[in-house]
Amino acid sequence: MNPLLSNRRAFLWRLGGGLGGVALAQMLGGHGLLANSAQATGPSAGMGPHFRPRVRRVIQLFMNGGASQMDTFDYKPELERRHGQKFDPGDGSRVEAATSEPGKVMKSPFAFRQHGQSGRWVSSVFPHLAQRVDDLAFLMSIESRTNVHGPASFLMNTGSLLPGFPSMGAWVSYALGNEADNLPTFVVLPDSRGLPYNQRGNFSAGFLPATHAATLLDAGAAEPIPFLRPPTSASYVTGPAQQAGLDLLRRMNQRHQALSPEDSRLEARIQSYELAARMQLAAPETFDLASESEATRRLYGLDEKVTEDFGRRCLTARRLIERGVRFVQVWSGAGGPSNNWDNHTDIITELPKIAMSTDKPIAGLLEDLKARGLLDDTLVVWSTEFGRMPFTQGATGRDHNGGTSIGWMAGAGVKPGVVQGESDPWGWKSVDKTTTYDVHATILHLLGLDHERLTFRNNGADRRLTDVHGHVIREILTA
Amino acid sequence: MSSPAPSDREVSWPGPSQRTSGTWTARWAVGCLLVGLVTGTLSAQDAVEAGKPGWALQPLVRRPVPASGPSHPIDAWLVASGAAPATPLSGTTGRATLLRRLMVDLHGLVPTPEEVRAFAGSARSEDETLVDEVDRLLASPRYGERWARHWLDVVHFAETHGHDQDRPRDSAWPYRDYVIEAFNNDKPYDRFVQEQVAADALFPDEPALTPALGFLAAGPWDESSLRDIREDVIDREIGRYLDRDDIVANVMSTFTSVTAHCARCHDHKFDPIPLTDYYALQSVFAGTEKAERLYDLDAEVHARRQGWMRLQVALDRRDIEALDAAMSDGLRAEQREWERSVVTRSTTWTVPQPEAWFSDVPVTFDGRSVRLPPSPAVEGAGDGRGLKLLPDASLLAQGTPPATNVQMVSLTVPAVGITGLRLEVLPDPSLPAKGPGRAENGNFHLTGFEVYARAEGAETFEPVALTHPSASFNQDGWDITKAFDGNPYTGWGIHPEEGKPHVAIFELAQPGSLVAGQKLRIVLRQEHGRGHTLGRFRLALTADTPPLRTSPIPEAVTRALAIEPDHRSPEERLAVTSQFLSGRIARELAALPEPKRVYAGASVFPANGGQKPLGRPREVKVLRRGEILKPQGVAEPGALACVDGLEARFGAASDEASRRAALARWLTDPGNPLVWRSIVNRVWHYHFGRGIVDTPNDFGRMGSAPTHPELLDWLAVTFRDDLGGSLKRLHRLILTSHAWRQSAADPQSPESGRPLRRRLDAESFRDSVLRISGRLDDTMGGPSVRQFAMSPGIHVTPNVNYAAYDLDSAGGARRSIYRFLFRTLPDPLMDVLDTPTGNQSQPIRSESFTALQAFALLNHPFVVRQSGLFAERVAALEPTAAGQARRAVELALLRSPSESERAEYQDHLEQFGLASLCRLLLNSNEFHFVD
Repeated sequence: MNPLLSNRRAFLWRLGGGLGGVALAQMLGGHGLLANSAQATGPSAGMGPHFRPRVRRVIQLFMNGGASQMDTFDYKPELERRHGQKFDPGDGSRVEAATSEPGKVMKSPFAFRQHGQSGRWVSSVFPHLAQRVDDLAFLMSIESRTNVHGPASFLMNTGSLLPGFPSMGAWVSYALGNEADNLPTFVVLPDSRGLPYNQRGNFSAGFLPATHAATLLDAGAAEPIPFLRPPTSASYVTGPAQQAGLDLLRRMNQRHQALSPEDSRLEARIQSYELAARMQLAAPETFDLASESEATRRLYGLDEKVTEDFGRRCLTARRLIERGVRFVQVWSGAGGPSNNWDNHTDIITELPKIAMSTDKPIAGLLEDLKARGLLDDTLVVWSTEFGRMPFTQGATGRDHNGGTSIGWMAGAGVKPGVVQGESDPWGWKSVDKTTTYDVHATILHLLGLDHERLTFRNNGADRRLTDVHGHVIREILTA
Repeated sequence: MSSPAPSDREVSWPGPSQRTSGTWTARWAVGCLLVGLVTGTLSAQDAVEAGKPGWALQPLVRRPVPASGPSHPIDAWLVASGAAPATPLSGTTGRATLLRRLMVDLHGLVPTPEEVRAFAGSARSEDETLVDEVDRLLASPRYGERWARHWLDVVHFAETHGHDQDRPRDSAWPYRDYVIEAFNNDKPYDRFVQEQVAADALFPDEPALTPALGFLAAGPWDESSLRDIREDVIDREIGRYLDRDDIVANVMSTFTSVTAHCARCHDHKFDPIPLTDYYALQSVFAGTEKAERLYDLDAEVHARRQGWMRLQVALDRRDIEALDAAMSDGLRAEQREWERSVVTRSTTWTVPQPEAWFSDVPVTFDGRSVRLPPSPAVEGAGDGRGLKLLPDASLLAQGTPPATNVQMVSLTVPAVGITGLRLEVLPDPSLPAKGPGRAENGNFHLTGFEVYARAEGAETFEPVALTHPSASFNQDGWDITKAFDGNPYTGWGIHPEEGKPHVAIFELAQPGSLVAGQKLRIVLRQEHGRGHTLGRFRLALTADTPPLRTSPIPEAVTRALAIEPDHRSPEERLAVTSQFLSGRIARELAALPEPKRVYAGASVFPANGGQKPLGRPREVKVLRRGEILKPQGVAEPGALACVDGLEARFGAASDEASRRAALARWLTDPGNPLVWRSIVNRVWHYHFGRGIVDTPNDFGRMGSAPTHPELLDWLAVTFRDDLGGSLKRLHRLILTSHAWRQSAADPQSPESGRPLRRRLDAESFRDSVLRISGRLDDTMGGPSVRQFAMSPGIHVTPNVNYAAYDLDSAGGARRSIYRFLFRTLPDPLMDVLDTPTGNQSQPIRSESFTALQAFALLNHPFVVRQSGLFAERVAALEPTAAGQARRAVELALLRSPSESERAEYQDHLEQFGLASLCRLLLNSNEFHFVD
């Protein structure tokens, strides 16, 4: 390839992030200059999918802290038999735990029952979700590469143990661009109690153009999008001043643009203000849940204190994807020692509390999406950064376990009511070694993206969400 | 890392997939022979033209500047390579544009209208005016502030750990100041490189250079994995490899523009870097950790502190080899002297047999007498909570550890004239972390120690007053006196010295008041909670003459002291030396002046919780596929074998610092072509907006080839040999070229060697706005300004509220480089303007244009406030609306508005106020782009 053209294209993509990049790509694409851009090494931002997608948008529900698999969906009779014994996997492998001395085997303190046609085992912490197991495809044994929150959360969100890599939502934004012209592409709704482990690091655009970074929305705040409006201190920015000002600014910029018409970034920057203006109009309606029926609000648990916060964000997520947002993450639990899924001290009291706050809202979200036909082209993913240990930490807690964890998917392209994978009899290690990369590859696949072809050149490597790993988990996909 | 299939053109290259045997190096040599590069006869230019990889590894060759063509060598090279020069900027408008470009280039600030007038109106020649201006700007400290920011982008500097425990680093800023000073003082580049990698080893007499080592610790640090999880788990080891990876990537990307980190899991797929070279680099940093490093400006004080700290680390690690190595002759002589003195002064202790022992007893004292529970049925281990008597008369706790405990032992006084008591706390294999306490880490908190005696024939036990408590080791904040303050929440602890015996000694306030045969009850309170109870202990009495409060000598030491020094085992040597040094080091360090601190690469540093210095390199293994469970041989420290003529292995030097010194010398060797090409390309990139190689961190096959390889090499050789590594002279050389003075191109333009139009970066935007509003505060250096309110978070990471910061408070108008950089909670205004977060090296700033950026530029309180101040400034200068409209445009855009523009702006300000107009000007494309 002509090195100049290659330089030029790489440069264009690096600098022309956002609308500029897209506009420019379309412009040059039209002239055949980017004819190869969807190929293996080329950038493909907003270039569309590699093949026919099953899914147009994704809602990812993230259980921050490491949801205990053997106390929720991974029923382990062996733990009941061995309860109170020293944990011995029997193969001579070393038993260790990240933050504690390994304790005795602990059975789940919660009753398990089989549910639905599929007969999935679900513990008593998820009474509502248990009613929807026939919609879900379970991944029973996802292996992490670490037992530590920070790297594990990065891995599940960005495919890297290290900070600075793009989040899955950013990759999707980069690959597919936006569906809406008045809302962001990738939105994160953090727990109102605080950000998860790694704070905003989990949602960054990494080395992708900044436009692909998540927009963090505080769904409960008066102003969910940052700096949507002037601060109250700006007494001089009245409504009419704002409108007249934006008009004047457009004229200023157009005059300036006329001097260098060849530089498409000038137009891109003008467009960013236009988009902002549209977003400012669209945002209040999007976040106003008052227009939802009482029945819908109840369905998401907005009428109960314990489910109100997570329910509000699940409902907001539905409204966002309805309006063309492509990737929404809803977080349960902030970082830190309590009020999340990181139940080190006492599974018996800690887990039911956090599980209950999500149970009804998630079941409600699934029911609502289904009723509205949205599940036909929406993917719902339930995930966490790792599982927990089959033995105790302290008296009745469980320590981190990167060996195996659980997740599920539901919606377009996903076979309902199936399970994939298996953990060992204690829920200590994955037997089939499904990885976080496989989860990412599968989600990208459903979006019509080949995880091996979605790349971005950074500091010497064509980076992928799946690094050099990942296999699409075909068992849970419809034909 | 993924790899596209090699194109047909490159099939002769032996890629790893075709490799079946032989070392990479050998294969590389073969590959080089195949393409005719190893002989050194081909220049980088030839290599590039031949479409071959490895151009950057070719030796730098001095070549004459093309004789024909323009007089400025840069222009001559460009013309010779076919670049057609565009129109240079000239005339009044051109000069204004040029000065704005120049000032943003060198200062990151837009000029004032006065500066523009002086520059554009100068009667001197264009060349002379420009040279003068360049020199004026290079002489200003604003230059170092601007270029330090570029450097911090590349080395991914920020001031928190990143990761889930994103703790602020209070002492990262001295590195930032070091970089600013290095640029302002025009430190020769090779020296700049050496100092950042190994200032301590190469320039030991200049401890003021220590902050340079902040480079090694500029990146993130995984506090959970490297400090807080257990030390013996695999995740800790994974964390160490990943942390060293960050350091290796930082060094190699920054200084050599080589992606060595791509060889972490396999031989580099595109460049001649085998897995073993990568782990050789890891091995260089096998003893380097990111930590708060102490240093002193006075070299003599510095050396003393480092010496004592090194001893402390060896002592803490029970590393007798390191301890022996770190002891000076003088100190050894002192130790011999000390040994003689303690032998003669050792106290004789009698260990009485406990007669009864109780655990978990609610012992109370009613002011007259100590009371026991009605039935002391808890004696022994019967109920699972008691104590067990061991043959050595010590008592060992049994059963489930309680949260709190009160133990009591009954004794009979064996002799007359008792003067003191001794409490030994002892490790035991049955205790967590070997004890002597029962907390998870083996610690305990003795919250009270009470002695009661019953006079012969008396009914009640009366308290015996104790005085002068002393202990062989005191946990920071938990010294032995806390066991006597009556507070159940404070006491004596021994963290982090768990797993070892310790003693505490107490004198009787009235020596000799106890008589033989008297009954004693000794109460040990452990009421702090969280399981901090005692696991194993033993009591003893003495009748020796006080004072007894000299550092008590544990029995093991006494035994070792009895052996001739030459006959002592390593364990015994360790015991004696430890005893000699224990109090001594702390006293010596306390006597030194307060040290300076910098967050830097370090092997000797004060322990940070579970991050304890090792003081020597760890063993680094070559990891097959980068997997921790697939270690191969031990890696020997070294660098890249593919750089011809330089020794790629440094020998198995055991010393951490000398490994870094060897790497620093390897990097700055005049024969290392990478380093010189790398830096001149970076400088070119920042002046032109696009490097001669437009992948400044990657000169490998996956990176771009140089557009003007001969120019790049000429610049590298000239910089190295003629300019003495002076960056200021390099700037002057580049900025006086006609190439740099051309009108700006847009990035789509295929022309190379012409400056690009650039969007103001976040810092230049913010600082320029402050300059325009008249508020820029040019205070230099010192701790970073935290432009946010900080409160304790749920966990380690604090809550950071940028909105709550008062923009008018002191420091609010300082240059952006002095703002505190929070990795996972970045400033929202700077973030939307593409300031790097410091998680990865960022050699090129991205230029994004997003709706969120538009929101922030319109509505962020900073912009709103500065627009108001800008308006106040204009209003003070101009009484009329027309004048204000004109003046506002002049200040912001450095030109006069046309008549129709002025009318339009005047109309707006008359309707909506001057501040509204100022806000729009600061949002305009004309302001945000630099032509």
